Order: sequence, then structure tokens, then C-alpha cells
Amino acid sequence: MNIRKLAWVNLISDPFNTMLSLLLMAFGVGIISLLLLLNNQVEQQLQNNLRGIDMVVGAKGSPLQLILSSIYHIDNPTGNISFKEANQLTKNPLVDFTIPLSYGDSYNGFRIVGTRHKYLELYKVDLREGKLWSQTMEVVVGSIVADIHQLKIGDKFYGTHGLTEDGHVHDNHYYRVVGILKQSNSVIDKLIVTDIKSVLEVHAHNTEEDDTHCTENHHHDHECDHKDHVAVEAHNNDLYLSDEFMITCMLVKFKSPVGLIQLPRKVNETTNLQAAIPIFEISRLTNLLGFGIQTINLIALIIILVSGLSIFISLYNSLKKRRYELALIRVHGANKWQLIKLVFIEGITLSVLGTFFGFLISRISLFVMLLLVNQQQVLHNIKFGLIADELWIFLIALFIGFLASLMPAILTYKLNIPKILSNA
Amino acid sequence: MLKSNSITFTYDGITTFNFPDIKLLKGEDLLVLGDSGIGKTTFIQILAGLLKSESGEVELCNVNYNQLSSKDMDQFRGKHIGMISQKPHFVRNLNILDNILLSLYLSKNRQDKKRIVQLLEEIGLGDKLKSMPDELSQGEQQRAAIALAVIKKPALILADEPTSSLDDANCQKIITLLKGQAEKTGSQLIIITHDNRIKSQFNKSIKL
Repeated sequence: MNIRKLAWVNLISDPFNTMLSLLLMAFGVGIISLLLLLNNQVEQQLQNNLRGIDMVVGAKGSPLQLILSSIYHIDNPTGNISFKEANQLTKNPLVDFTIPLSYGDSYNGFRIVGTRHKYLELYKVDLREGKLWSQTMEVVVGSIVADIHQLKIGDKFYGTHGLTEDGHVHDNHYYRVVGILKQSNSVIDKLIVTDIKSVLEVHAHNTEEDDTHCTENHHHDHECDHKDHVAVEAHNNDLYLSDEFMITCMLVKFKSPVGLIQLPRKVNETTNLQAAIPIFEISRLTNLLGFGIQTINLIALIIILVSGLSIFISLYNSLKKRRYELALIRVHGANKWQLIKLVFIEGITLSVLGTFFGFLISRISLFVMLLLVNQQQVLHNIKFGLIADELWIFLIALFIGFLASLMPAILTYKLNIPKILSNA
Repeated sequence: MLKSNSITFTYDGITTFNFPDIKLLKGEDLLVLGDSGIGKTTFIQILAGLLKSESGEVELCNVNYNQLSSKDMDQFRGKHIGMISQKPHFVRNLNILDNILLSLYLSKNRQDKKRIVQLLEEIGLGDKLKSMPDELSQGEQQRAAIALAVIKKPALILADEPTSSLDDANCQKIITLLKGQAEKTGSQLIIITHDNRIKSQFNKSIKL
């Protein structure tokens, strides 16, 4: 038996008050913690997928839409642009490199992106097995796509026009899996990546005769391979120069920050293209979200404060009920500080335990949310561990527990023991 | 050994009590008789070191209370003085065993469960170890309070009206028990009461 155990017994002997304090604290902490976890996750993924891309050039429209579709692949493309026009940027001395992207088709909801090998280098993705594409219509698939659809090297599939599963199927051209990528915890995991010309090929109509031939001889795929699919290296360079060669957007990396000042304006003013700056759009987006998050945080903070009040009331009430007990403990040889310790242990145990349950609640809700809404793997690589900001919640909760115990502790210190004993 | 010298205490700034000097040798018990309102409880609280006397001094085991800080006095009281009040009090949320364990913890004694079981059996509460205080009858509660006081083998046991709320039969039992236990642990026993039923059982008595 000791003071700690006595504090604990006191807490569990008054289950309703204890539960009320705990629940309030747990809910307040749980809400803030859940928001922090989600916010942390979203911000991390937004940042993680940026990979130093300074500017995106695409068709005119909403800049946020352009960024969301080109970098995060969570919105529809803004339209097509001429590769020839966009490619002018590549020669600009302020530009380090550019990566063209063509997208708009999908396979069972996963996007097919036509690009160059450089795109995978940007995300530092390695192959789990197989090789990178060397011909058009060869694809490498992201780890999540491969896992969900059980895709293996050599598998063939048709792309669907549009980004939903019920679009028109391009059944004239099939893609062939030549490589499967390792998990990179980036947007690549959810993409099917192929050569930029593949997307063009699927949408072009000048090879219609060959297409028909191929679909008719579906069982003799190999014959078609060589006719249809041209080795990338050997492909006619003129195609890039033709006005017909359309892409969806171009990712641009600057050599120096000066590019950020000059180029976006130049593109927006002198061309038919739109230039969007990812970090601007993201901060615009997080500011929009931030307002809502702050409001909810405020509400949660108020719940935590109410929980502090509830701890105070239950300590204060039990102090009134247990005045004689406290006096008795003094008679048994406890000093004032041991009584104060008893009060503080009770108050702080409530706040710490409440915080702990709050952290538990936030994780459980996050897990349930993932189960319910995350079939499309919008969020992936969720971390359930403690995050740095939660240390602050813990400290705040601790402080509130301390504050709630302070007044009862002072009253305990001032208890007139002889008077209580003689009045009993 | 207990000694008290010219203790005075002023209550509410009006009533001044002058308490008689006491000198008890080891093994001696004392009955302090007095009607209500003449400072019996005040006297016992001064002897217990819970109240500080205005003048005079109390000495137990060759330690003068005036020389102890408040914290040291708490510890000294815990170790050397057992108190029994008219109405027994316990920590409500703890069972009898845990109440006694807490008393041992606070007085920095070893928490010896076997000794507690033995003691409770001696005083007829062997089967009430795990009972909550509220579940005991009045007589049982008073016996448990005695156990609480004697378990730490104090030098001095102070009992404030231990029998006044008990019927005759229980009154005799409790006094016998109290005397017996005090003798066993070598404690000096001071009983303050207005209960004349127990006068005959004590050799030494004073009147306030």
C-alpha cells in the first residue's frame, strides 16, 4: 500500500466521475490527434510527391486542377497542349529539365501515364522485377496497382478512356507489362507508367487497319507486336516535331530560383499555355483546409478544457467528501506533502490516462476510416505511430490536469486537521 | 515514557485551558475523566502533536515536541502514537486489510500481512480482512480501529471516548481488548472519557 495505490483506488471507487473526466479528455485529445494525423499525412504526401518540380505547364484552366492532376493524379486533366510549343521551355537557359506527361486513360481506375524514363528517376523508383519499357505499349506498373490487380510480367490489358472504370475501352491496343516497380510511397505506386508515345498511339487513328488486324487475331499477339509497337529509340523523331503531337502537361525543374520569377509569367503572358507553381497551389489548398482544421481544433480544445473542469470538480467534491479521511491519513503519519501528492496523482492520472485513450481513439478512427473510404488507396503508407505535434497535446493535457489539481491541492494543504478531527 | 508540563491552550481567543501535568512510566496506563466542553479533545490533540500548545511542553520517548518541525512531528506521530477516536474512521475505499497496510506504510513500518492477519484473528475480525469498513457493525468497527492503532506497536495509544457509543457488553469487551493489546505491544494507554463505566478498570486516573 502506498499513496499511488490509494490514489488509484480512489479513482476506481468513483467510476462515474472518473469515466466522465476520462471520456471528455479522451474525446478532446482524440479529435485533435486525429486531425493532426490526417493533416500530417496529407501534408507529407503533398510534399513527398513534389520532388522538386518547380512548375507545371498545361492547358489553360484552373491552376490548382492542373497541379492536382499532373503531380498528384487526383483530378481530371485540364486539356491537351502541343508538345512542340511546351518543349520550347526545355531550351530555356533557366530550365534544368522538363518531363512531358500524357494521361487521361486508366485501367480499372488506375491511371496510365505516358512519359519518359526520367519521370521514374525523379521519384527514385526502382524495379521490383522486369525492366523498363523500351517500346511503346510496354508498361511498368506501380506496386499498389500490381498488388491489387495481381499483374505479372507479360500480362496484357486494355486501357479505358477517361479516369473512371466505366469509360470506353480502347480495345484496339493492349498494354503489356514488362516491369513492376518497388513500393516508393509516392504517387507512382498507384500509376501505370508507359512511354509517352504509347498514349498517342492508342488515341491515333492512322493505324486503324493494323488495329483491326490485331484485335481479330487476338490469339496471335506476337505477330502484332512487331508491327504495332515501335522501339522507342528507333521511333521517328519527326513525331515530336509535328503539330499533332499533343501531351497533357510538362513538369519543369528550374536551374535557379530566378526561373520562378521569370518563367511562369512569361508562359502565361506569351503563350497559349498555363504555368502553375505547385508550392503556391499547395499552400493555397492547405490554407483552405487549414481554416476548417483550426475551427475543429478549437472545439476540441474547448472539450479538453471542459474535461479539466470536470477533473477539478470531481477532485473538489471528493476532497469535500474525504476531509476526514485526509485528516485520518495525517494522524497515521502522513505529512502535508503526501496529501498533496495524493491529489495531484489523482488529477494527473486522469489527464494522462485520458490523453492516452485519446491517442488510442484517434488511431482506431483512422483505421476505421481507412477501411471505409480508402479502397482506392487515396491515402497509403499511413503511420500510426506518435507524431511530434502529439507531444504538445500531451503537455497541454498534463498542464490542464495539473491546473485542475492545483486548487484542490491548496485546499488540502490548508485543511485544519485538529478541527476536522474534533468535529467528526 | 510520557511527560507533560504546564500545558495551556486558548480556544477561540477566549477560553483558556490549563491541563494537568502528566508523568507516565513505561507500562502505566492513565484514565482522563472529564465532562464535555472542558477541552478533552484539545488535550488529546496536543498529546498527539496535532495541536501545538501555547506554552508548556510534551515529551514522549525523550523527544520534546517543541523541537520537531511539522513534518517531523507527522512522522513521529505516525511511528510512535496510535489514535482511537469515539467514532471509528477509515479510508472508505479501502478494505480493512488495506487500511491497516496504509497505516503501516505511512508510519514507515514494514507492511507485514501475516502479522495483520494474526492481529485481526486475535481481536475477532479474522474473517473481515477483505470487508469494506461500511460493512462492519459498530463494535466491529471499533475493534478494527484498535487494530489500526496497535499494529505499528506505538509507544503511546491515545483513545478519545472509545466506548461512549457502545452498549455495556461491547464497552467491557473493547476496554479489555484495548488494555490487552496495549500490554502486548508495550504501549502506554491514555483513555480520555466521560464514561464512568470503565473507571474501575484503571489504577491511575485524573480529572480535568
